Amino acid sequence: MQAGSVYTRDRCVTGIHGLDEILRGGIPYGSTVLAAGTCGSGKTTLGMEFLVRGALAGEACAHFTATEPSVKLLENIRQYAFFDMNMVDSGLINVFDMDVLYSWLGLDKASFDLDDVHALIKAIVDIVNTIGVTRLVIDSVTTLCYKIKSEQLIRDFLFTLGKKLATLGCTTILISEITSATENAHWSSFGVEEAIADGIIVMGDVERMGHLLRFLQVVKMRGTAHSRAKHAIELTPLGVMLTPMLKWGAQTDKANRVGV
Amino acid sequence: MARKIEFDAEDEEFFGKVGSFGVPKFDNEMHGGVPRGFTMVAFTDTGSGSELFAKQFSSPAEESENTLYISTNEGQQEIVRIFQKYDWPLDINVRTIGEEYNSTVLERELLASRYRLEGFQLDDIQRLAQTRFVDDNNQDYLTEVTNEIMALGPYFRAVVDSLDFFLQREDPARVVAMVRMLAAHAQLNRGLLLISVSTNGLDPSVKQELSSIADMVLSFQVRTIGTDFETSMIVSKFRNAPENLKILVFRVTPEEGITPETVERIA
Repeated sequence: MQAGSVYTRDRCVTGIHGLDEILRGGIPYGSTVLAAGTCGSGKTTLGMEFLVRGALAGEACAHFTATEPSVKLLENIRQYAFFDMNMVDSGLINVFDMDVLYSWLGLDKASFDLDDVHALIKAIVDIVNTIGVTRLVIDSVTTLCYKIKSEQLIRDFLFTLGKKLATLGCTTILISEITSATENAHWSSFGVEEAIADGIIVMGDVERMGHLLRFLQVVKMRGTAHSRAKHAIELTPLGVMLTPMLKWGAQTDKANRVGV
Repeated sequence: MARKIEFDAEDEEFFGKVGSFGVPKFDNEMHGGVPRGFTMVAFTDTGSGSELFAKQFSSPAEESENTLYISTNEGQQEIVRIFQKYDWPLDINVRTIGEEYNSTVLERELLASRYRLEGFQLDDIQRLAQTRFVDDNNQDYLTEVTNEIMALGPYFRAVVDSLDFFLQREDPARVVAMVRMLAAHAQLNRGLLLISVSTNGLDPSVKQELSSIADMVLSFQVRTIGTDFETSMIVSKFRNAPENLKILVFRVTPEEGITPETVERIA
């Protein structure tokens, strides 16, 4: 590197309209990003589009679904024009049902111990390594972590998984379900995910003149400069569209907070 | 209110009021055999001959299609070998739960441990990515066995050898409830039901419950005398006929299987 030149990390271009601009080019390769959002905020669509854009660029992608059966997920997502079922059929996007994975690993039980957690990490890493996955989505890490009773074990699980996936050059989005996306809210259900993740994208709703608008905000992203402004999300048939929120909206927000 | 069953007069005459133990000398000692409708619980020591007794009890098989032998430890082949050896009928219904468990649940567990130790191969991953539903292999053997016995008609003969399998895998309260249900079915249908359970590690409260449900409680014991073993069957409960309580010392002969010793040992 020449003296004075600025080193920039290689990016995983998400291909999501507006998100790469917010992230100044994309997510740094190998990052583990927590996409934390309230229900209906577009987390699953965002995660799936992230994979579709990767698949269109010829990358191997994997989606682990824990919140809903894969059949239901695919039925819902195929309504979007950006999604093509052939990507799943041809193996570009590999959709794994967590319940099936649990059953195959003998993990169909109420809670996981240390051995179970290690088995799960090994299985996910095996899959990523064997088929050369470069984009991974786990939807949701909250549902998965419900089975891990100790906070320490959740921390170990996420840290070890993130570290191994980073070593394999896999950019991961961990979807997290939260009940509130306000400034004072936690961006994870267990309080440990946000500390371990390389990046945090918060998704939620704001009320504007009687309308509930979806928003997205990049709170943290290691390895890149990024905008921290709230952006409005629209879930269109063509995919997720992000546009900066108008200033007057932010003013109204502030006014609401101070009770004006 | 319990359903009333009309019994055929011919059947009543054919089956009689008591059923054979399958051991004629035991029948003689016990005033003809086991009263129809009785549930017997046999508490067993390891090596006391209870497995052979369980098979011998099913051997009279008055109606082979109404006779059911459920084994949780032995395989079909072993059971057939013993029945052939003693020339007992081979046309009774036999269910080998242990064998079924090994071929379904254990096989699955073995595969799971292979995945956990060796990881996934490419073809495993491809299959996993195409599998959308979990195989429902979780068989409820307790319910199945209960239903199978409950489906037997009047004057049935059924053996469950042994209850240990269920007590190790299920909530003991559920197992006791199943025994209670089966005992009621046996009483209603004048059936004969023998259930064996090992005394090793058996919870005293479960033992107490099983004893109270049973019409007849048997204990199979083995002890050493000098360099010899002595096996005995103790009848410690006989509902409404305490005069029948007995200690019957027995041995196993190649011709008759379990046979009470009629000559007193000289120690």
